[in-house]
Amino acid sequence: MTLFTTDDCVLCAQLKKQFDLSAMDVQVEVLGKNDAGALAHLAWHGLVERARKGLPILVLDDSSALHEFGHIKSQLLDRAARYGCGVAARHAGKQADCESGSCALQ
Amino acid sequence: MGVVMPLNAETAQARTQRVVNEDSTDIALFVRSSQDDMTGWNRQRIVDALLRETFIDRGTAEKISRDIEVTIQAGKVKTITGPLIREMVNAKLLEMGLEEARRMHTRLGVPLYDVDQLLVQHNKENANVPHGPEATNLTLAEGIKKEYALLHVFSPDVADAHLSGDLHLHDLGFIDRPYCSGQSLEYIKKFGLNLPHALSMAKPAKHAEVLLAHMVKFAASLQSHFAGAIGWDAINLFYAPYLEELDDNGVKQLAQMMIYEFSQQAVARGGQAIFSDVNIYWEVPKHFVDVPAIGPGGVYTGKTYGEYEKQAQRFAWALFEVYKEGDAAGRPFFFPKPLVHITEKFFKTDGHMDFLHHICEVASVKGNTYFVFDRGDTAKISECCRLSFKLEASDLEDAKQPWKMRYSALQNVTINLPRLAFEAQGDDTKLFALLTEKIQLAAKAHGQKKKFIERLMSLGKGGPLSLLAMDLDGEPYLKLHKCSFLIGMVGLNELIRVHLGQELHDSDESIKFGLKVIAHMNIVCNKLAESLGMKFVLEQTPAESTAFRFAKLDLAHFTTDAEKVVQGNREKGEVYYSNSTLFNVGATMSPIARVEKEGLFHPLIEAGSITHIWLGEAQPDKEALASFVINVFKYTQNDQIAFSPEFTACLACGKTSRGLRETCPYCESKEVDGITRITGYFTKISSWNKGKLGELHDRYRNIDRFNN
Repeated sequence: MTLFTTDDCVLCAQLKKQFDLSAMDVQVEVLGKNDAGALAHLAWHGLVERARKGLPILVLDDSSALHEFGHIKSQLLDRAARYGCGVAARHAGKQADCESGSCALQ
Repeated sequence: MGVVMPLNAETAQARTQRVVNEDSTDIALFVRSSQDDMTGWNRQRIVDALLRETFIDRGTAEKISRDIEVTIQAGKVKTITGPLIREMVNAKLLEMGLEEARRMHTRLGVPLYDVDQLLVQHNKENANVPHGPEATNLTLAEGIKKEYALLHVFSPDVADAHLSGDLHLHDLGFIDRPYCSGQSLEYIKKFGLNLPHALSMAKPAKHAEVLLAHMVKFAASLQSHFAGAIGWDAINLFYAPYLEELDDNGVKQLAQMMIYEFSQQAVARGGQAIFSDVNIYWEVPKHFVDVPAIGPGGVYTGKTYGEYEKQAQRFAWALFEVYKEGDAAGRPFFFPKPLVHITEKFFKTDGHMDFLHHICEVASVKGNTYFVFDRGDTAKISECCRLSFKLEASDLEDAKQPWKMRYSALQNVTINLPRLAFEAQGDDTKLFALLTEKIQLAAKAHGQKKKFIERLMSLGKGGPLSLLAMDLDGEPYLKLHKCSFLIGMVGLNELIRVHLGQELHDSDESIKFGLKVIAHMNIVCNKLAESLGMKFVLEQTPAESTAFRFAKLDLAHFTTDAEKVVQGNREKGEVYYSNSTLFNVGATMSPIARVEKEGLFHPLIEAGSITHIWLGEAQPDKEALASFVINVFKYTQNDQIAFSPEFTACLACGKTSRGLRETCPYCESKEVDGITRITGYFTKISSWNKGKLGELHDRYRNIDRFNN
């Protein structure tokens, strides 16, 4: 399972904060200005155009992809439970949202 | 003595002033010619030329002129020519160690033997250039401009990289023009045919046929100002307001006139038909729906383009009827290339399946149709062999006044990927470092070309690029600040073969590594774009001759390594590298697998990509192709596809048959020529270079893949 993110993405940051992704065996790929490997991995899954519209994207073990934030979160919650990993409490109040457009592949 | 203007030896201001003041006609008429004899000898001319063209001091110039005089007198030469004296002076400069002065004093020219060969033999660098006096004029002029570019426009490191085959600087013979352009018919609909220096000016067209005449003439003018393709956006839509007065026969007639006009215009530059593309939409693109339509006489019709959908569809349909028929001998039209945009809205527009079957039938019967996939909100204008300009927010704003929509790529520089793998010797770090270095050098080349074009453009309406400086809508026709700078690649497949020992189609690992190479190129381009303020974008280079040139140079300079991976037939000299990121053309792959896997690379190559499906003699059902196209749109990332059948044209009986044959099946004549798609356009095989002939032989034909 792979989670594609960027450093500036508020939604990605929320997931990274809430879940112990490495303990859940979720590979995190940070799409930045320097990582051709992450971009190539994204392209291998045919998700470059999708990432230009929005991140994060979660690629499941069967290679299908989730890009709705709610679905990603729910998938990660299931996996956390399966792996016996804890989940950090969500901040009370407003759900994280991307208003600046930074939650996308630039 | 012939005059070579040392443009880079002056300040830009002084140079501009001198260029304006000098009349090049004088230079052409009054240079010392080979008819001059020793009675007209004046060694002061050598001194004057050296002082004018180089930085050497008067004393040295005087000494050189005296030495040359002595040599000539000692040789008892009966007649002496300007070029010979210049050669002697250059030899003297070299002897004295004055290398820079020799470079500045260089005479550009062509050996007698080469001219003799050129006049007789067909130059096949570009299959779209026929053989004839205009073509040899073009080749000779290109030869001089190439030399000029490598000596005076590009720095020695860039020029050396080109000459050695690390890079390929495209269209050096057209150094004083941008690379290619895409535009809107709205410009001539609004402003008429009003070209700088034209003998007459035409007001906006009132009838469809006149608009066509304006379009063709404007395209020819643009061809003389751009090196490559001239593309037209949404052509069927922008003609629509002129079609209301025409019945279906009239629309068909107009479609026929347009296609014949562009396909028969072999009387333009160098006898070369205009490399023209027409972008066609079945639906009205979202960004044009609410735009007020310009109609006959350049007047707003009071309707929006959204209201012209049916008229636009009539024209699109008629154009493909003409393509399906082919020319008088049943051959496919070579130009204009029809690029149909397949979008989300296409599938929501009435009649789309009928139209899809129609254009798929043309793809099967004649091969003309290009299927351009604009998924999601993507909008673009496509042209050339696969180039596309993605419309950004500011472009979509311009769409409200569509005559403002014009795009250009200023230059194309291609990187020889297999050579990087030879040099890296299996070391990833070294490979990516070398790749970065070459991209940086390509960016440097782009900066130098940009500076040169900027200088020509600064001469404005009195300069050589007056057409591009015209500002009928308040902005120069060439919007330099919006130009793209293309960085291409050749031979990813062979790079992988050298580096990993497998070709792209052999394994997922090969594809993944290939993606990493292209992702690296994408990232470096973006970084350079940010730091240099120039829009560097990757494009799959068409590489009609570059794939041959790189392979040939590598066989000469990296013989042991290159022999293992160069494609084609070495004995015949028909060698090539796989084009851009394309897989081995001979790999046995299902068409959908090829489209899907090659398509993985396309989103990383923002300025355009294509996958070719070679049909050979096969003529699939239109329904099978339509279903294929829909699947490509829905389930792959592929940017553009084209199906390429093959034909044999008989020069004796004039008939056209399916497949490539050595004799005509109708009259058994051996005077035949093959026709198929070379790199992104149809042409006669007899005009192909050796590398492409090698590729043609290797192509895997999808004969039974569509179950027809």
